[in-house]
Amino acid sequence: MSAMTLTRLIHEKRVVVCCGAGGVGKTTVSASLALAAARAGRRVLVITIDPSRRLAEALGVDRDLAEPVALAPERARAVGIEEPGRLSTWTLDPKRISDRVVKRLSRDPAKIRALLENRVYKNITAMIAGMQEYTAVEALHEFVTSGKYDLVILDTPPSRNALRFLDSPTRAATFLDRRILRLFVPGEENRIRQAASRIIEKVLDIALGEGARKELQEFFQLFEGILLHLNRNQGEMKKFFSGDGVSFLLVTSPARAAVEEAFYFEQKARELELPLAGFVLNRSLAWASNRPMPHRSLLDEDASEVEVSALRKMRGLAKPEKDRGMRHLELLEELRRRSQGKGFAWVLPELAAEASDLEALSQLAEHLSEERPQPKRKPPRKRRSKSAVASVKKAS
Amino acid sequence: MSFLDRRIHLVTGKGGVGRTTVAVALAHAAARAGRRVLLAEIGDPEGGYSAIGRKFGREHLTPEPEPLAEGIMGCQLCAIRGHELFVRSVIPAGPLIKAALASKPLRRFLVAAPSLHEMGVLYHILSLLKAKDRQGRPRHEVFIVDMPATGHTLALTSLPAIILDLLPVGPMARAMREGQSYLNDPTKAAAWVVTLPEQLPVSEALELLDGLRSTEMPAGGVILNRVPEDPFTEEERDALALLLDEKPMHGEVAFRRIGSAQISTAHLKQRTSLPVWELPEIFGPGDEEPAFSLADILAPLIAGTS
Ligand SMILES: Nc1ncnc2c1ncn2[C@@H]1O[C@H](COP(=O)(O)OP(=O)(O)OP(=O)(O)O)[C@@H](O)[C@H]1O
Ligand SMILES: Nc1ncnc2c1ncn2[C@@H]1O[C@H](COP(=O)(O)OP(=O)(O)OP(=O)(O)O)[C@@H](O)[C@H]1O
Ligand SMILES: [Mg+2]
Ligand SMILES: [Mg+2]
Repeated sequence: MSAMTLTRLIHEKRVVVCCGAGGVGKTTVSASLALAAARAGRRVLVITIDPSRRLAEALGVDRDLAEPVALAPERARAVGIEEPGRLSTWTLDPKRISDRVVKRLSRDPAKIRALLENRVYKNITAMIAGMQEYTAVEALHEFVTSGKYDLVILDTPPSRNALRFLDSPTRAATFLDRRILRLFVPGEENRIRQAASRIIEKVLDIALGEGARKELQEFFQLFEGILLHLNRNQGEMKKFFSGDGVSFLLVTSPARAAVEEAFYFEQKARELELPLAGFVLNRSLAWASNRPMPHRSLLDEDASEVEVSALRKMRGLAKPEKDRGMRHLELLEELRRRSQGKGFAWVLPELAAEASDLEALSQLAEHLSEERPQPKRKPPRKRRSKSAVASVKKAS
Repeated sequence: MSFLDRRIHLVTGKGGVGRTTVAVALAHAAARAGRRVLLAEIGDPEGGYSAIGRKFGREHLTPEPEPLAEGIMGCQLCAIRGHELFVRSVIPAGPLIKAALASKPLRRFLVAAPSLHEMGVLYHILSLLKAKDRQGRPRHEVFIVDMPATGHTLALTSLPAIILDLLPVGPMARAMREGQSYLNDPTKAAAWVVTLPEQLPVSEALELLDGLRSTEMPAGGVILNRVPEDPFTEEERDALALLLDEKPMHGEVAFRRIGSAQISTAHLKQRTSLPVWELPEIFGPGDEEPAFSLADILAPLIAGTS
């Protein structure tokens, strides 16, 4: 199998999942990548999770819409999207997704009503933080199989550790394990089971009160059919995620903790045999590493005193920034080495302003197309005697 | 109401803004002020490393508090531990209960079900707040929690009201009321929203404050982290802005950050009446731990009355 490239990712893949530590730019990169693919003529849907209000506005979506919204034609053209390319956005709404699953899966209207009215159900689905992981996967599957999109890009929820998302099908399966449900829902099974159920009932009666226990039980009873479906889906989902059309992208910032998380994630993804496309190093200063240092020669002969002193103070800011640029270049090299032969490592610049409008997304999208050369470390100087190499080695 | 007089502090904010660093810095500052501090993070049910632990040179923390540094104990808040403690508190220990709690499927369920996880964590917090030493004093005077990112924090602070709505009576309800008696009392608890001096993080911090208010969690203040130092006079800034338009150079990104940080700081202060604490960006040589120097800067917050 040949190595994955960014161009292939943008032109050929059907699903891209952007993962990474909190705050590294998963949502931003997802949206920029979607923009890049739409420019390449594809019908793209990006499922964003909890986008900032401004980014949502830029993409023309409200935070909780029933259906994906396509970017208005004139705005799309302004950022270089031409027919048949299209950029649609949807923000994940866990409550809506699970309601939809309930309605789709249950034929009995009375049951549907009872479940949607059940207080346990209402509260569980309202606890967005926990449901995001479960429903993201379900939503993705729904859109991919709808046939309306050539490419679906999934932004992942911020969680303390990005792996939570990958494990979520398993976690959902655990939550939904029938054997567990049986403990709560007495059936006609063997006597030991029944005895176990009775004990648990007793415990719950003491802990929760009888009324609440009954409601909980009703919830599990009603939900059982749906859980079964999700469970069945889960196997399919696992197959789907390791399939050919899917790629995982690891987004990271240059911060050490974020990079470590990305590496940890990489390892985990390999264990789970998920198709990794590569790394995106976001918010990097690698681009700027060949700029000049602030120096008197940058000013005119007749520069004012203010300019001279400003430039002098600028040196204090410049040195750490230059060092950071160099470190980012090294990091990029490391990411390239790690993905060699398998995928790619790509770098996106730190923009002057925050990346929350179409203009900024479009700048990043441009950087995501391979026409824009990526920064490289300067090749080592040529004339290098043996002893020079030796002394360099000693120094490092 | 001073920081040190409150029993529990939740350090929250969006991912990556410095919650862990600030929580550790607050713990050092409170310990230096002579308090017995407990510093905790929410345990990851799937394992993984401990962010707090790493700041003290260890990979993992346990649910049982253990000494991390002079005056600082550390632990991981753990849902299962909370469930066990809760069940034991309501039901006389019997072999059957023990067996039920030890059963793998039940444990897995308790961790995986969304609200049950928060419930366990909350109960664990409660039990640590109530723990007494031999003299009958609170074992942990100041309890600082490095909270997970925004959504999970609100899930936790909104939990008591949700549970009480579902289960108005019984031991669970009692536990939740007790939780509220700490968490919703501004003399006992405070949430600190950590954010960065940038436009979006600031507006998200303001949203988080609204969210906390709607769950009746009292907010202590906003901690604006990584504020860049500004060495320039106003004229110098104007001159540089003009020069940079023509000539790119190193330092440009940092220079622009100073300007945008000032705008968003002003915006934040205008939009909230809570105290705003500014912490500087620390440039350590290499990757030196910023929490230590930040602890000095936080000393007045710790001592102060606001
Ligand atoms: N290349 C960039 N240049 C400048 N700012 C950026 C860049 N990428 C992202 N940002 C900014 O960084 C912040 C975080 O980005 P974003 O919301 O995409 O991160 P995230 O990983 O989705 O966060 P979360 O984990 O909270 O979902 C935003 O304010 C965004 O505008
Ligand atoms: N004031 C500061 N000056 C310099 N670096 C800082 C400062 N505060 C935090 N950092 C650095 O920023 C990075 C992120 O900080 P930290 O881990 O505390 O954030 P967090 O909000 O807990 O992140 P997560 O969402 O991953 O839990 C760390 O590398 C930390 O050393
Ligand atoms: Mg995001
Ligand atoms: Mg942290």
